[in-house]
Amino acid sequence: MSRLLMLLHTRLALRTTAIILLIVGLLGIAFLLLAVHFRAQSVHQEQQARLEGLLNTVERTAQIACFLDDEQLARELADGLLSNDIVHAVRVQSLDGKLSIDRGGALDSARDALFTREIASPFEPRTTVCRLTIDPDQRYIDALVGQASRFVGGALLLQLLGIGLCVVVVVVRYVTRPITGLSQRLRALEAETGQKLQAPRGNRDDEIGQLVNSVNAMIDNLVQSLDAERCLRLEREVEERRYRAIFDNVETGIFEVDDDGAIRVANPAFRRLFKLPAKRDLNLHPIDFATLVDPEGTFGASPATVVAGGRGRQWEVALGDEEPRRWVSLVLNPLEAGRLQGVAHDVTARKRAADAAEQLAVTDPLTGLGNRRGFDRRLAVMGRHHRLYPDRCHALVLLDFDHFKQINDAHGHHAGDRVLRLVGGELAALLRQRDYLARLGGDEFVLLLEGCGRRDEVEALLGRFVARLQTPIALESGVEVTIGVSIGVALLGVDTEEPQQALLLADRAMYAAKRAGRNTWRFHAPGGNG
Amino acid sequence: MIRVRCCLLVALLSLVMPAMADIAIVVNTGSGVSHLTRSDAVNIFMGRYRKLPSGNPALPLDVAPFKARFYRALVNKNLAEINSYWARLVFSGENSPPQQVATVDEMRQIVTSNPGAVGYLDSREVSPDLHVVLILSE
Repeated sequence: MSRLLMLLHTRLALRTTAIILLIVGLLGIAFLLLAVHFRAQSVHQEQQARLEGLLNTVERTAQIACFLDDEQLARELADGLLSNDIVHAVRVQSLDGKLSIDRGGALDSARDALFTREIASPFEPRTTVCRLTIDPDQRYIDALVGQASRFVGGALLLQLLGIGLCVVVVVVRYVTRPITGLSQRLRALEAETGQKLQAPRGNRDDEIGQLVNSVNAMIDNLVQSLDAERCLRLEREVEERRYRAIFDNVETGIFEVDDDGAIRVANPAFRRLFKLPAKRDLNLHPIDFATLVDPEGTFGASPATVVAGGRGRQWEVALGDEEPRRWVSLVLNPLEAGRLQGVAHDVTARKRAADAAEQLAVTDPLTGLGNRRGFDRRLAVMGRHHRLYPDRCHALVLLDFDHFKQINDAHGHHAGDRVLRLVGGELAALLRQRDYLARLGGDEFVLLLEGCGRRDEVEALLGRFVARLQTPIALESGVEVTIGVSIGVALLGVDTEEPQQALLLADRAMYAAKRAGRNTWRFHAPGGNG
Repeated sequence: MIRVRCCLLVALLSLVMPAMADIAIVVNTGSGVSHLTRSDAVNIFMGRYRKLPSGNPALPLDVAPFKARFYRALVNKNLAEINSYWARLVFSGENSPPQQVATVDEMRQIVTSNPGAVGYLDSREVSPDLHVVLILSE
C-alpha cells in the first residue's frame, strides 16, 4: 500500500491516470446506474410491447373461444401463449362464468404487473364476452434486465480501462517522457559554460518548449550573474591586494579592536610602534588594547565607550618609560557592530617640536630663564594651587638690580647682557627644583618660592644671594664690576590671598628697599613701607 | 296529403328495387318461438346457442342461394370470413357450422318437419307453413 502511494507520489502518469480513472469511475457509476435504470425501463417496455403483440396475435382466437365458451380452444390458446418465455401464467375467464381456464403457474391476481385485456364478441364489438389475463414471467424479465445491465456495465468497464490505458500511454508519451528527458539533460548540462538546453523534438512550440525557454533564460541570467560576480571578485581581490600593500607597508599603524577591547588585527607598522612580535597571531592571542596603550588606566574604559555615540575619537598617549618618551596619536572609529578600526601615528617628533615651541614661548632668550609669559602662567598655577590648598604659603620675590643702566651705558649692552646672564645663573643655582625664576624685562627678575611661607627661609636664601653678589663680575674687557640688588618680598597666604595682589605688594616692598638705600630686601609690611 | 305522397314514394321505390328484398329468418310453426332478437340469431347461427329459447335443440340451416346476403345482413361478414371462423373450430370438435342446404325448398322441408330447425329466405318467398321470427333488412 505504501509502495503504491509512493509510486503515485513519484509518477505523474500514474497519478494523472488514477485521478482520471477515479473521476471517470465515479461518472461511470453514475452513468451506469442511469443506463441500467433506462435499460430496465426499455426492456420492460419491450416486454410490454411483446405481450401486447402476443395478445393481438391471439385476440381473434380468444374472441371465438370466449364467444363459444370453447374450453378446448381456450386451452389451446393459453398453451400457445405459454410457449413464450415471457409468459408465466394465463387465465381466460368469460364474464358469465361459463368458461374459466388457468394455465401455467399460479396467478396472483393482486399483482400490478398482470396484463389484462377485455375480449369482445367477434360479431358484436361492443359486447365484452371475456377477460384474458397474462402473468408476465418476472424472473425472465429480470434476467433480461440483468443481462442488459451487465452488458452496459461491462462496456463501461472496458471503456474505463481503455481510457485509463490511453491516459497512461498519452501522459507517459507526451508529458512524462519529455520531462524525464529534460531533467536528465538538465542534470548533465554545464550551465556555467553557457550551454543551452534543447527542447525535445515535437515539443518546441508547446508548454515544454516554453519551460525549456524559461530554463534557458534562467541560465542566461545565471551566467551573467556569475560573470558579474567574477568581475566583482577580481576587483575585490585587486582592492584587497591594494589594501594589503598599504596595510603592510604604510608607516601608520592600523589595527582593529573588538568590543572586549582585544586587538585582533594589527599591521607591521603598528607592531613596530608598540614593539609587538611580528609573528604573533593576534587572532589566537589577542592583546588587550587598554593594557597596551594605557597601562595606568587613564582612560579607564574599553574602546567601545571611548567611541560611544558612534563618533570617532582621537587622543595621544605617551609610551614607554625611557626618556625621551615616545608619543603616539590614536584615532578610533567604529567599523561595524562590535568592531573598531584604529590608526596610530608616531607623533613624537611633532610632540617634541610642540614642546620646544612651548618652552621657547615661556623662556627668556637672554638668560634661559622664564620670561614674563612663563611667569604669568606659573603665577596662575600657583594661584590655583593656593586656592586648593590655602594652608600652604608661597613667597613672591621681585629683584631689581641697582644702577644696571650704568653698566649698559659704560660697557655696552653686551656687557650688560653678560651680567644679567651671570646673576641669573647665580640666582638659579640657589633655587630648589620646584622654585621658579623668570626675568620680567630689563634687569627685573622675579622668584616664586613654592611652599616657602616663612621669612627666615626667604631671608636665608636672599642673604646667600646678596653675599654672592659681593664677588665682582669680570667683563670680557677684563673690567670687573659689582652690582647691587633691591628686593621686595610678599608672602602669598600671609600678606594676601591674591597672586596679583602679592605681585603688587612685592613691587611696593622692592621700592621700599630702594628707598632704604638699595642692595637690601624688604618684606611687605602692612601699612608700613607703602 | 304529405302521407299520401310518402306512400306513393315508398310504393314507387319498392317497384323500382325488387332485388333488394329483406331476408326473413323462419322456424317451424310449432317451434314455440314467436320471434328472435338479432343477437339470438347471431348466437344460434354462429354456434353459441345449441338450443332455441323454447328449449328445442337448435338446428340452423345455411341456405345456399341466400347465404352470402344472410351473413352480410346478420354479422356484416363475407363468406370467406365465415368459413375461416368455422375452420378454427374444426379441431375442437365441440362446435360445428350450420347444416348446408342447397335450395329453399329443401330448407322449407327440413323446417316444416323439425321443430328446432331455423332457416332463412327472401322475405318475398315466405309461405304460410313457415313462421317468420326476424326480418333482417339489407
